[in-house]
Amino acid sequence: MSAAAADPPLPAPELLAAIPRMRRYARVLTGDATRADDLVQEALARAWEKRRLWAAGTDLRAWLFTIMHNVFVNQRALARYERNHVSLDAESEAAHGWQVPVRDMQYTRVELSELLQHVGRLPVEQREVLVLAVVEELRYEEIAAMLAIPMGTVMSRLSRAREKLRAVFADNSAVPPLKMVK
Amino acid sequence: MNPLPVSDADIHAYVDSQLAPKRMPAVEDALARDPALAARVTELRQQNASLRDAFDPWLDEALPERLVAGAAAPRANRQWMPSWVGMALAAAACLVVGVGLGWFGREISLENDGTPITFTRQAALVHALYASDANRPVEIWAAEEQRLVRWLSRRLGFQVRAPDLNSLGFALVGGRLVAGNENPTALFVYENADKRRLTLQVRKPVNVGHETAFRYAVEDGVGVYYWVEENATYALSGNLDRGQLLAIGRVVYGQLATLEAAPASTAPAATPAPKAPDAMPVPARPPTTAPVQKLS
Repeated sequence: MSAAAADPPLPAPELLAAIPRMRRYARVLTGDATRADDLVQEALARAWEKRRLWAAGTDLRAWLFTIMHNVFVNQRALARYERNHVSLDAESEAAHGWQVPVRDMQYTRVELSELLQHVGRLPVEQREVLVLAVVEELRYEEIAAMLAIPMGTVMSRLSRAREKLRAVFADNSAVPPLKMVK
Repeated sequence: MNPLPVSDADIHAYVDSQLAPKRMPAVEDALARDPALAARVTELRQQNASLRDAFDPWLDEALPERLVAGAAAPRANRQWMPSWVGMALAAAACLVVGVGLGWFGREISLENDGTPITFTRQAALVHALYASDANRPVEIWAAEEQRLVRWLSRRLGFQVRAPDLNSLGFALVGGRLVAGNENPTALFVYENADKRRLTLQVRKPVNVGHETAFRYAVEDGVGVYYWVEENATYALSGNLDRGQLLAIGRVVYGQLATLEAAPASTAPAATPAPKAPDAMPVPARPPTTAPVQKLS
């Protein structure tokens, strides 16, 4: 117990509450459910190791996301190296990870599944920013800090992701084509 | 006045509700004057809404046990072992438990109610997480017991009941919903005058027809009595000795059986009446011990 007393524990209920969102983010990163859970588990272990670095009272979710993003980036770099630069691009790895049952809401099941498929085909850098901004509703500055990239990069990734999704669904839409606003 | 022209970044910030207030007039003005821009904003908002609709159900997935365990402090920090040994052991244990527990391999379910390891371990973890929380062990407090029971019954899909353990010195603190491996779990927390806490966890059985007798296990110093009935699985957990826990378990079991027997009169807005009580398989009674006495 002495070591635990020296390092204050993380708030377990909050940690538990953050796990569903961690899993979702991990799945967005890896595109694969099993690997996503491995990633969450690894990130949780790191979080406990580094718990001294978490400032109590700050956003635990953002801190956990940052850790998980770093674990993912490191693992990916390692995997790339080990596989002798075999590409790990989203096209090849998103094959089955996105096929989750979606609830019927205002859209049909098919449309939502289709949307998920298209998100899965975005490069991981773009889909990660898209999901963090739109689904997790994080502020752009938070995303920039989390991913250690400039704000301008956040904006350009977000813009490209949105434009690609828009283009995919544009065929069935009466909305006029995008015009760059300057 | 002629502020900066509206940029692409302004439009993104606008649809994401994070546009700086001072930019708002310029953007709204541009939207009023430019129908194509307004159409684009509408389209992006629709895209946002469908993305949330597509991704939000992922949050409702049941958590695998290995991740629930990850929310608790690794044992390495409480033990004499160097931390890497503990980590390795924990990882190995998680591998054994976690193999096959993917999102899509649901048919290969490790979470059988008859399996003492997984069920009691999870019950003990949940107990440790919430019973130790001094300020917010529950989501809904006992003052709103009826609302609590209604809510949990709705979420679990059958009528749950909070037994009255006042005769044993344990008052209901409240309850909450907890993610289980397969089915959501209702958690009731009780507390006695010495601030000792007990939890009762209820969930739908994963495998129907696997009734068990009372079983007892100790996980991380938490004693867990559990039993499986046709309609529900129960786990009673607490840092009490086995005899005390057993005595309480008998009271809980007896009360639930009585309440099941008279559903209409005691539960006004009850869900469809459970099967006749005599049809309910009766778990083997625990060995008769001393009569239930007041616990302190």
